[in-house]
Amino acid sequence: MQTQTYELNMGPQHPSTHGVLRIILELDGEVVVKATPVIGYLHRGIEKICEGKTYGQTIPFTDRMDYMHSMNNNLGLCQAVEKLMGLEVPERAEYIRVIMAELSRIASHMIYAGALVNDLGGVTGFVFLIRDRERILELFNKACGARMTFNYIRIGGVQQDVPEGWVEECRRFVDDFPEMMHTYNGLIMGNEIFQARMKDIAILPPDRAVAMAASGGVLRASGVNYDVRKDDPYGIYDRFDFDVPLGTKGDNWDRFIVRMQEMEQSIRIIDQALKQMPEGPVMAKVPKVIKPPVGEVYHHVENSKGDLGYYVVSDGGMKPYRWHARRPAMVNLQLLDELCRGYKIADVVAILGTLDPVLGEVDC
Amino acid sequence: MQGKGLLTGMGITFREFFRKKVTEEYPDVQPDLGDRFRGGKIHLVASKCIACGLCQNACPNGSVRLTTVKDANNKRQLATYVHDTGLCLYCNLCIEACPTKCIEWTKEFALSSYSRDGLVFDCLEAARQRGDVKPPEAPQPDGEKG
Repeated sequence: MQTQTYELNMGPQHPSTHGVLRIILELDGEVVVKATPVIGYLHRGIEKICEGKTYGQTIPFTDRMDYMHSMNNNLGLCQAVEKLMGLEVPERAEYIRVIMAELSRIASHMIYAGALVNDLGGVTGFVFLIRDRERILELFNKACGARMTFNYIRIGGVQQDVPEGWVEECRRFVDDFPEMMHTYNGLIMGNEIFQARMKDIAILPPDRAVAMAASGGVLRASGVNYDVRKDDPYGIYDRFDFDVPLGTKGDNWDRFIVRMQEMEQSIRIIDQALKQMPEGPVMAKVPKVIKPPVGEVYHHVENSKGDLGYYVVSDGGMKPYRWHARRPAMVNLQLLDELCRGYKIADVVAILGTLDPVLGEVDC
Repeated sequence: MQGKGLLTGMGITFREFFRKKVTEEYPDVQPDLGDRFRGGKIHLVASKCIACGLCQNACPNGSVRLTTVKDANNKRQLATYVHDTGLCLYCNLCIEACPTKCIEWTKEFALSSYSRDGLVFDCLEAARQRGDVKPPEAPQPDGEKG
């Protein structure tokens, strides 16, 4: 019998595409022959916008790239500009930055795990993760007055010191985290249906992961030990003792479990940072008008999605001459076609979920 | 044993059933958003404003727009002050830029409108309605300065 493939349009309004991603699926029955991601629905031209703003004014725009892990986006840009200016950041500000970035990473991974579980039909798991993420957002709200788009980390330090009682509340979250993890372990990781949907699906060999420039959890799930926090330490990350969780196979399950273990490591970092955090100022002496010397800088940080890099060129003026972000979600998303081929249409949702794209960052 | 994980999960769900509720009965109970919350529109204290325009310059998105006029003493006074919340990023840069600390957030969060025009607020007019106006200064007579 002669059959032919057909095309199916998934998104951009599909609930499992995590935003406005459109995927054109070429299917043979229910087996995927080709998956083409169509991006650009959320493109705002942030890079071009930022060329018309002062350095300080570009920080709120980074919040709107990866809105799940905004603190790290702020951090990457600020450290890039500080590198260009040769600015020293006060100790306390460095510790607050690390705590905020790691809390933000946990919040991002909670959304990642929750959305993935939800996509596979486990709504209860989603609700539990979102409930616990709320405590992190509440901490952010108390510190800077915003829950998602912070503009908290600034060039030279942080916007303001954390309020009274904040550290104790953060400590309570750190202490409660093992119990939360226990809940997720029992409810999500132990679930046989979830395991059957995840294990041995969409295996990404380490050489392909490196060849496609994947980073973050996607790369580490394939067993490649690369974490910017360890391999090119920025800020004060060299002072903390933490492990980089690695996968063995590179399948969906590894990509999921690596991130769950990363949350535990982030808690370890926060725990150490809270213990070591000194008193003192939170802002360096920064001129009112920031004019970095002529030159260019590239600085990268470990985002929850992967290796987030900023390339800033200064012509000596108030505004950057060129402002570019290397967005890990965008790069990781290019693996979608390769991973989906040969698997069933229902696996596309799981594979997309484990790649963890945030469309604000993909389109930028 | 196949199905053990499912039973464990159901046990956890059952245990969570008796936990303290975390949901708030909005809108009957309004959430406490803290004193640093950024939201709503700009609350302008017109009597403290020196019409320097720093907030307008600090805004990354052109959401704060003001115009000034010179008064009888050749001093700048506010003529209009508009906050376009539809463009606002709530980044706090305007509030931090203000040298006299005469602007702050109104902190409401349910600003929705049927049109974009409904998101543009005249902060100066709101200040006038509150009775917050700059006391008129007596013009200084010429030639007797200093």
